[in-house]
Amino acid sequence: MNSRQSRRSLPCRSAVALCVLLVAACAGNGEGLDANGQPLVPGGSAPSPLSADFESIQENIFTPICSVCHAGGSAPEGLRLDAANSYNLLVGVPSTEVPSLLRVQPGDPDNSYVIQKLEGHQAVGMQMPFGCPNTQPCLSASTIAFIRQWITNGAPPATATAAPAAVNDMLAVTSIVPDSMEPVSAPPPQVMVAFNHELDVSQLTTHSMHFEKLAAGTTSTVLAQVAARSTVSSANLRALMIWPARPLAAGHYRLVVDATSSNRFSDLAGQTVALGTPDERGQAVISTFDVEVRQ
Amino acid sequence: MIQRLIQNQRFVLAALVLAIVALLRAAPAAAEPYLAVLEGYKCNVCHVNPTGAGLRNAFGLTYAKVLLPAETLDNTLDSWDGKLADRLRVGGDLRAAWTRVTAPNTPSQQAFSLEQFRVYADLVILPDRLGIYVDEQIAPNGSQNEEAYVRYGNTTDGFYVKGGQFYLPFGWRLQDQTAFVRQVTGINMTAPDKGVELGYEHAAWSAQFDVTNGVANATTGSGYQVTTQIVYTKPIWRVGIAGSSTQSSAGDRRMGGLFAGLKTGPIAWLAEGDIVHDDSLGRSLVAGLLEGDWRLLKGHNLKLTAEYSDPDRAVRNNQETRYSFVYEYTPLPFLQLRAGYRHYFGIPQNNQQHQQLILAELHGYF
Repeated sequence: MNSRQSRRSLPCRSAVALCVLLVAACAGNGEGLDANGQPLVPGGSAPSPLSADFESIQENIFTPICSVCHAGGSAPEGLRLDAANSYNLLVGVPSTEVPSLLRVQPGDPDNSYVIQKLEGHQAVGMQMPFGCPNTQPCLSASTIAFIRQWITNGAPPATATAAPAAVNDMLAVTSIVPDSMEPVSAPPPQVMVAFNHELDVSQLTTHSMHFEKLAAGTTSTVLAQVAARSTVSSANLRALMIWPARPLAAGHYRLVVDATSSNRFSDLAGQTVALGTPDERGQAVISTFDVEVRQ
Repeated sequence: MIQRLIQNQRFVLAALVLAIVALLRAAPAAAEPYLAVLEGYKCNVCHVNPTGAGLRNAFGLTYAKVLLPAETLDNTLDSWDGKLADRLRVGGDLRAAWTRVTAPNTPSQQAFSLEQFRVYADLVILPDRLGIYVDEQIAPNGSQNEEAYVRYGNTTDGFYVKGGQFYLPFGWRLQDQTAFVRQVTGINMTAPDKGVELGYEHAAWSAQFDVTNGVANATTGSGYQVTTQIVYTKPIWRVGIAGSSTQSSAGDRRMGGLFAGLKTGPIAWLAEGDIVHDDSLGRSLVAGLLEGDWRLLKGHNLKLTAEYSDPDRAVRNNQETRYSFVYEYTPLPFLQLRAGYRHYFGIPQNNQQHQQLILAELHGYF
């Protein structure tokens, strides 16, 4: 073989080698894993059959099927359906495709957008799971019926989180969005504070908050104030939403609880948790973030 | 012999077309990068969008009329050049399919479906400098905007800027949006993003740099995604590298990908390997693709695909693979028939990872 032939055959050999490598790659044998591909926990229980409760729906549908795409930093429509996030991002939260509909409207499956997407009569976009019915099975009517029943029952959270707080399960904040000097690419419609328990809504009237626009590079030089109102979705009592009275322009912001107001929040069991850290003026700072409006 | 066999099969295929049209309901519009590899073209040779897919330009339409189909309709289509007016070009894709999906311990499902009907429009305001592009999904269900952006600059030789909503450039823009490499990266033709793109096209080079919201940030209004891709194209081979970083309240996500194409005689080879690390999931994912497209005759293509996915590199024995066999027949300009079989393999305890799919598809485009 001369050098020219050798040069020509190199890409061909590479292609053949790559082909053999990929074709020879085998699927996993599943040893030591559960049905969702996660390592078995010693002493762990077998997965429960599908039933009309959130824990079962998460375990049998959201985790194995939906969270293949709807998870992490690339979750479509910002909807993360992994076990840690799915409930708070489904129940009582407006859909991004049809904002007039909640993803899950407790007690009303027909007007829950998740049901419309699963049954294929959604107003916008594709039926879910992605690829259904062309490249993967749609959820059967009997499977969707369990989700419908859970919504009809009021869409309660998983039993573990709905139970009265134990001593070692104190009321706590699970996430604040946006927070931690997070750059925000557009004026945020609201700041969301998620708790691990349902809040006592009757106590919310004692809280008063506002946004402060700070001078660049400072932590306390206030340029302007924007009033805010706080609400808890009746459909999801674990998520506190704080809405600015007007859209926030580009700048450096923090959300604070007024010095004259309480920054302690209560759950239904009477437990309280303080929100934010006090600044030099005695205000509790809940969140600090930068709005970077992009065109 | 093969040609006679194929000619006889045309009647069967024609009957299939009529049956599908009569029952018309289903399938997606997307790119076919194997054609670019086979011909040695860059994406912008055939498409208005410099990163490929969507509306075909004048050459793309000529290719679809003359070079792609088995039979060319002499003079019949000469008057159709995609232009409704001097500066307004339109096009569309409609895919309808019949599929049967089976999985162990699961009732099989079969259905006719209309997966997508899309229309495209490109308005040239200043020739070679300023234009507006729209890609609208008309069906199924309500209308949905996929792409809509303003483009400034030269998309064939030089720098350009896009601003608006568009698909991100990352790896092969495949026809199959469920391919592992498109699912794992989350960058595909069902997930457009809003932001700006700076692009560069010159000779064998194509490059893009995008700053966008990130699809996961749709509800939070926070975070952003930076994506970049560089491709070097030669007549019989090409190689590309892509990277993306997303900052999200869910956690940061970083991705890298390598992809390449090679022509060996009548066969176009496409390969891609991607690695993803997602902080919010606390895991790294890997996906790979190898596709071979063999142009048996003019208008006939055999597509074989092998794919690999590791959904968590830290967990052993959880890998998935997928193999596809698809025959594509383009009897006439703007009409394509596809039929194929796909088999998934995964862990034995998960039925969904052992699906088998049979598909017959009708694709009309203009």
